[in-house]
Amino acid sequence: MQALTILLDGISYGMVLFIISVGLTVTMGLMRVVNLAHGAFAMIGGYIATVLVLQAGVPFLLSALIAAVVAGALGGLAELTVYRPLYRKGELPQVLLTIGLCFVVIAGLTLFVGATPLPAIVPASLDRMVDIGFRSYPAYRLFLIVVGAVLAFIVWLIVERSLFGARLRAAVDDPQMARAVGMNVNRMFTVTFIGGCALAGFGGAIGAGVLPLEPFYALRYLVYFLIVVAVGGMGSFRGSLVAALAIGIVDTAGRYIVPQFGGFLLYVLVFGLLLWRPNGLLPPKSVA
Amino acid sequence: MKRRLIASAAAALITLSTAAYADVVKFGIIAPFSGPFAVWGKQFKDSVEAFQKLNGKSVNGHEIQIIWRDEGAGDASKSRQFAEELILREKVNVLGGFALTPDALAVSEVISESKTPTIILNAATSIVTRKSPYFLRVSMTVAQYVSPLGGWAVQNGIKSIYTMVSDYAPGIDAQDEFLSGFEKAGGKVLGKDRVPLNVTDFAPYMERALQSKADGLFIFAPAGAPSVAMVREFERRGLKAAGMKLLGTGEMQEIFLPSFGDSILGAISSTHYTESNQRPENIAFRKALTEVAGKDAVPDMASIAVWDALGLVYETVKALGPKFTGDQAIDFMKSKTINSPRGPISWDPKERDIIQNVYIREVKKVDGKLINVDLATYEKVRDPWKDNHPDAK
Repeated sequence: MQALTILLDGISYGMVLFIISVGLTVTMGLMRVVNLAHGAFAMIGGYIATVLVLQAGVPFLLSALIAAVVAGALGGLAELTVYRPLYRKGELPQVLLTIGLCFVVIAGLTLFVGATPLPAIVPASLDRMVDIGFRSYPAYRLFLIVVGAVLAFIVWLIVERSLFGARLRAAVDDPQMARAVGMNVNRMFTVTFIGGCALAGFGGAIGAGVLPLEPFYALRYLVYFLIVVAVGGMGSFRGSLVAALAIGIVDTAGRYIVPQFGGFLLYVLVFGLLLWRPNGLLPPKSVA
Repeated sequence: MKRRLIASAAAALITLSTAAYADVVKFGIIAPFSGPFAVWGKQFKDSVEAFQKLNGKSVNGHEIQIIWRDEGAGDASKSRQFAEELILREKVNVLGGFALTPDALAVSEVISESKTPTIILNAATSIVTRKSPYFLRVSMTVAQYVSPLGGWAVQNGIKSIYTMVSDYAPGIDAQDEFLSGFEKAGGKVLGKDRVPLNVTDFAPYMERALQSKADGLFIFAPAGAPSVAMVREFERRGLKAAGMKLLGTGEMQEIFLPSFGDSILGAISSTHYTESNQRPENIAFRKALTEVAGKDAVPDMASIAVWDALGLVYETVKALGPKFTGDQAIDFMKSKTINSPRGPISWDPKERDIIQNVYIREVKKVDGKLINVDLATYEKVRDPWKDNHPDAK
């Protein structure tokens, strides 16, 4: 029974990581941009949702959706202005510019919202315990699992079952060939970037109960987002879902069973896994 | 040559004109204004503005000038560099600041050589004041404000405990100090967890604590994101519903209470400053603070520390005039007793560490606002670590 609790904890945590990171796997896999500012979009989403709920009394889910839209719009704007010139540059300029973007967002949000951690906006209907048969369990975590599963399904539909998805996968696997057969890869970049940022913003908003919002959010959780991408395989959607869930479960179980080593366990496993499969669990064909 | 002549003439003129009027006493403060600890800098600055609004910007005609330096994200080497700059170039009369212990330790040599009186505004590790005879602490030590809590808990029906602290020196100090009081009073320890500093999801730890079925959970985490996440998980996982009491320290400062919501009600904490206490000094302090920083401004440990530090500097200038040596200033300051908004404070003349009341408080809702209400007061608490380690250097 205890194992089941840990499993639920791990899956709910992993779902938040998945929602936020799936966009990053696109930027890094498809566009080959080392995008360290991805966490900043999740943070923007979380901050917007929090301000909406607390100041304007907007319902939780609606404000998370608005946050997703705004984060997506900002992402699109950033793609057109900041990221596009970066595609042809080397990795170092990309790292410098995107980490700089992170600092700008951190400073901006600190200026407008303040330097203290933000209050939780989980509504009372979710912030309680529900009976799940063998024990009572936080409703919020069940909510995360459901939302994460739904989003994962939608992303799967788009990526694996739609024409856009087929083109996207083709572009990830071989961008030059995709261009050669007449696909507008640039536009595809913009659209997926918007989608990824919107998901990150949504994840930042609904996941605030697991990853608390504070001014250094964008950098604090960046390592986890990057691990999801690296372990899952850059550009792999299924990979990032598997990786996010695995990270959530391993991290949670490690902390529960051996709390004194809990912090290390995840990193040791990631280390071993990347030695064994340097391209991640389920890398797309182009890198496999 | 010509330019230098003009410059020195101008400098002489300025010196003459100010000397005829009054002196400037410079108080340099090194604190984080950016980075993860930026809230410290903001709280310091608001409090200084409030103090100067209430008490004026000069003492007997001598201007008290505050010079700020931003050390950023807890960078000890920067702290040292700024201390050198402030002492050598700005020629500050008094130095202060230091959010974290390493920031304070980094300047100990510099201030010893230059004999600059240095007021510690936070850095809460006991040993710091032994590192230079020119250190004087107005904040607190972790051991000091934790020390009464263990005994209080046992006396108030918490017979068994689970502890969960962040895995860094202050966390371990807090755990040890709490447990020594708790076990001495006859309490039973059911488990001790150390949580790595980078952890954000506390679910597995809280699950362990829940399974232990202890009467209470003692926590210690750096104030800010980690402590907020820890307390939230305590509520969400139903430890409170299971009848467990939450015991902490700085996590439950009034400034953080809105981050938790109503489920924080009933949490117990022990610190040296109850923000809503009704001493006249505190009422005046909070009034001045809301005037400069807005009606929602809430003071915290940082505000109170810099408030009292400025009080000390003003008193020093009043008594010794604008020119004093480091030894004179430190000797004067450590002999003072101040009626601070937190209660009476004085200093151990040998250790130059603060002696103050420690309050055990409970979070309650008063007039629709979450505040801490005192349950017990322990008067004139010394730093127990120093008394237990008389020779540690």
